Amino acid sequence: MTVLPISIGILVAGGVYLLCQPGMVRIVFGITLLSHGANLVLLASGVSAWRGEPLTGTGDPADAADPLPMAFVLTAIVITLAVTIFMLALAMIGHDDDTLHMPDTGEDHRA
Amino acid sequence: MTLVWLLAALAAAPVLVFPLTSALGRRAGWPLAIGFLALAAAMIPSGREVLDGGEITQTVAWLPALDINLALRLDGLGLVFVMIALVIGAAVFLYSVEYLGESRQLGFYLWMAAFALGMVGLVLADDLILLFACWEITSLASFLLIARSGSGAESASARTLFMTFVGGLTLLIAVVLMIVTTGTTSMSQSLTSDVWTDRPGFTAVVAVLVAVAGFTKAAQFPFHPWLPDAMAAATPVSAYLHAAAVVKAGIYLLLRFSEAFSDVPVWNTLLISVGLFTAAMAALFAFQQHDLKRLMAYSTVSQLGLITAAIGVGTEKALTAAVIHTIAHALFKSGLFMMVGVIDHSAGTRDIRRLPELRRIMPWSFATVILGTAGMAGIPPLLGFVSKEMILGSMLEAPGPAWAGMLALAAAGAGSVLTFAYSAKIVLGAFVDGKRELKDCHGPSARLFLPAAAPIWVGLPLGLTVGVFNTPVERAVQAMGSSAAYPLKLWHGLAPELLVTAAAIAAGAALMTRRRALYRLVENDFLPGTGADALERIFHEARRLGRTISKSVAADHPRRHVVPPLIVLTLLLGVGSLAVLTAGDDVPATQPDLWRPVDVGLLVLIALGVVGTCRADSRIAATVSLGATGIAVTVQLFALGAPDVGLTQLMVEVLTVLVIMMVLRRLPGRFGHSHLRRPGGPLVLAGGLGIGAGVATWLLTGRREKSVPADYYLAEGTKVTGGDNLVNVILVEFRALDTLGELAVLGLAGVAIVAVLATVPSRTLDPPRRTHRPSLRPVQALRDPQARAALTDPQSNLRALQLLLRVVVPVLLVLSAVIFWRGHNAPGGGFIAALVASAAVALVYLSRPDDRAVGPPRVHIALIGGGVLTALATGLIGYADSSFLQPLYGTVAGTKLSTSLLFDVGVYAAVLGVVMVAFDRLGAAPEHDPDAESAAEAPLGRTKEGIV
Repeated sequence: MTVLPISIGILVAGGVYLLCQPGMVRIVFGITLLSHGANLVLLASGVSAWRGEPLTGTGDPADAADPLPMAFVLTAIVITLAVTIFMLALAMIGHDDDTLHMPDTGEDHRA
Repeated sequence: MTLVWLLAALAAAPVLVFPLTSALGRRAGWPLAIGFLALAAAMIPSGREVLDGGEITQTVAWLPALDINLALRLDGLGLVFVMIALVIGAAVFLYSVEYLGESRQLGFYLWMAAFALGMVGLVLADDLILLFACWEITSLASFLLIARSGSGAESASARTLFMTFVGGLTLLIAVVLMIVTTGTTSMSQSLTSDVWTDRPGFTAVVAVLVAVAGFTKAAQFPFHPWLPDAMAAATPVSAYLHAAAVVKAGIYLLLRFSEAFSDVPVWNTLLISVGLFTAAMAALFAFQQHDLKRLMAYSTVSQLGLITAAIGVGTEKALTAAVIHTIAHALFKSGLFMMVGVIDHSAGTRDIRRLPELRRIMPWSFATVILGTAGMAGIPPLLGFVSKEMILGSMLEAPGPAWAGMLALAAAGAGSVLTFAYSAKIVLGAFVDGKRELKDCHGPSARLFLPAAAPIWVGLPLGLTVGVFNTPVERAVQAMGSSAAYPLKLWHGLAPELLVTAAAIAAGAALMTRRRALYRLVENDFLPGTGADALERIFHEARRLGRTISKSVAADHPRRHVVPPLIVLTLLLGVGSLAVLTAGDDVPATQPDLWRPVDVGLLVLIALGVVGTCRADSRIAATVSLGATGIAVTVQLFALGAPDVGLTQLMVEVLTVLVIMMVLRRLPGRFGHSHLRRPGGPLVLAGGLGIGAGVATWLLTGRREKSVPADYYLAEGTKVTGGDNLVNVILVEFRALDTLGELAVLGLAGVAIVAVLATVPSRTLDPPRRTHRPSLRPVQALRDPQARAALTDPQSNLRALQLLLRVVVPVLLVLSAVIFWRGHNAPGGGFIAALVASAAVALVYLSRPDDRAVGPPRVHIALIGGGVLTALATGLIGYADSSFLQPLYGTVAGTKLSTSLLFDVGVYAAVLGVVMVAFDRLGAAPEHDPDAESAAEAPLGRTKEGIV
């Protein structure tokens, strides 16, 4: 038995629940939780049995963790930051972040 | 001059247009014309070699892996078209200088030069892919030249693009079929392949596809409407593209492929019938017009129809006629188009009904137009007479029964009657008939008139000495696989075609004596609609169909887009996990020690945080829970032995919460109204996907030994790069391309925020609902005067932080530099260092009493752009060694350095830039909103008491 998958499950469940809510801010929160879950999945793919820091010359190389998923996750975190900021900017347009109500922008949406 | 240099010179022209038009304005046409003439002169040695029976080929590897080459070949056929493109191009450029308005005219010269490159590339291409690419360049340049003629040209240019792209698609299909079947991308090899005789069915399919492609460019029925539409473009564009070049690209394609298809019955039938029908139909339409330019357009369609029919006949005589008529038509038609421009300039209109008796003030123009139209109508002794008579004569050689040839000749003859009629209409309408006073008209300047008249006047001596074309035309016809050409003569004896010509002239002249009655008869529309109308109807229906289809999936609310993929993902994970579980004993055992006690504690924290985030009704409470979850996840990352990831996550967590707080200031305090009425569906989906993700992770991870890449990086990473921090060296060296892509995403998000917020000012949106104003202010505290002062006076409120900053900011900046520098060997690097610097930016922002941006305006965009460009430039440096992004190493003052450090600088700048965008654009003061201020009873709206 292992613990990490349960944490991942909880993060994903919370993220999906929020993603289904109306309101941009909750959707952004959902994305944040989902990306936490996804990042942990990536790290889990590196097998969590070895948890030594992947720094050459530090600790026992046999115990070092897989550095490749870490590089992926690091990239993913920064992209999540960018996407989160962008979505928050979208939430800020108008006077609330309700996604069910389409504000009147003066534009014709029928194309 | 080698062919590659010719193309390189033509490719340089569009680039040179920028400085030329900037320095000379519309007079940039002079250097361009001189350049084109110089290129034509430089091609004379090569041309002589071709005329002596040689063939010049040159190949530069382009995509060797796909066997696609920049293969160029100059043979007799190519030579004719290269010379047309260069010489007529030069004349048109000279003419443009006087014709165009007094402004820079960058777009005109740019796309004309780009077009010339595409056209010459097309006729020199000996590679099928290159042929297609150049074909599309001519289509696009033609579209752009029409589209730049103002709003009236928009729909016309779109229709042109649509029709020429239909041909582009059929050509692409044909080219791909040829490459796959004949196994080579070389056009000369492909066209002489045995496939064409061995597989008649396949040959017929490719022949039809090529014919359709040729028809679209050469404006043959039913694709002809684009050419009259294209008259929206400036007259020099029409003189070059619509008389000499783009339409001749279609003719070139048909001529070039006739080597393979001239014996294919479907090719003969299609080209002859469509060509002759188009010739007659367009001649009639031309006669209907009273706009001289549209008349010219239809007459071009008609003339191209004759050439198409001759190519369809495919005998030596017919192909000779097609080539010589292509030359003749390029000369007289480009000249006539330019003369229409001359008339337009002199009289202010090109409508026959409003033109006065211009012959009185423009005798030379009168003579020139007579000469040009006489060539078009095939009157001896002009070049147009020779070529047209040959086309008529070649009709008798049409394959099939004898009556087919007679029928073709009769059809062409009928077209000739109308051709004479509309030619006469041009002359009479522009120069002879007309009631308007002459007083506001003026003769043309010599600089406008001479380039326009030159192509027409050379038709006279060339007609008398038509023998000079014998060798070039013979070489051109030989290039199409025919053994010999038909000798060109002014006088062929009393052949049937001469009788037809004479009859046509007589009939046309007879018609024109009754022209007033005739005009009244034909100038009414006798068709229910034009081709352009039909095309618009097709567009309209296509749009409606598209809207109907998109309606079934479109929604403003994101849930409708998000839920279906989530359901599919749930099913995939569920079904997949079940399949793996029931497959039996194939699943390996998990590794021992997959979890540690600390994981359990973090699990509890994460669970509490997630539940809190989901259940909170207050936005602040949800944010706090989200932040707590983030911190728990960060600790989990550290616990997994990922210090770099953990540090990054920690910094991102802090910055995310700060940005969320800035946004929340403008939003209602509670989610309240946005709670779902029926939470059942999302709960089920969330539970399903959560369980699915957990089970799949348990099932599919932790059941193997260390991966091969992991072993490689752990064993070799430091040896290869000299860096001890393997995560960092993967990011900036091994997988730098990933990181570059990520930087692009990051930078784009920053630019998108700036763009979106700039284009959607909130004043254009719905007025706010008062009940949902922010309620971040602790209302109770405001009753206590001291607390009120502390909260409402931002100056005193922030003093402590401002003092602290003097120490903290330098420390943070030094820390950032240290973290950056040590990144290669210890946890750190560009990402983390930039996030630490971002924290300093955040603190500076927070310590200000007003919502001013940190740093000079637009510095963030400069940082993003500079960062991405730095990373790209580092990538290019890699070419010095082997490939893009290949790091170079060197030792400076005893320290081993790598260009990846420079790459990391790019990362640093871009990340910092995006965070600064967030603080600048999201943290700026909300727009002035009197409604909100009165509701808040005190000017609190612009302070940030909600944050600090």
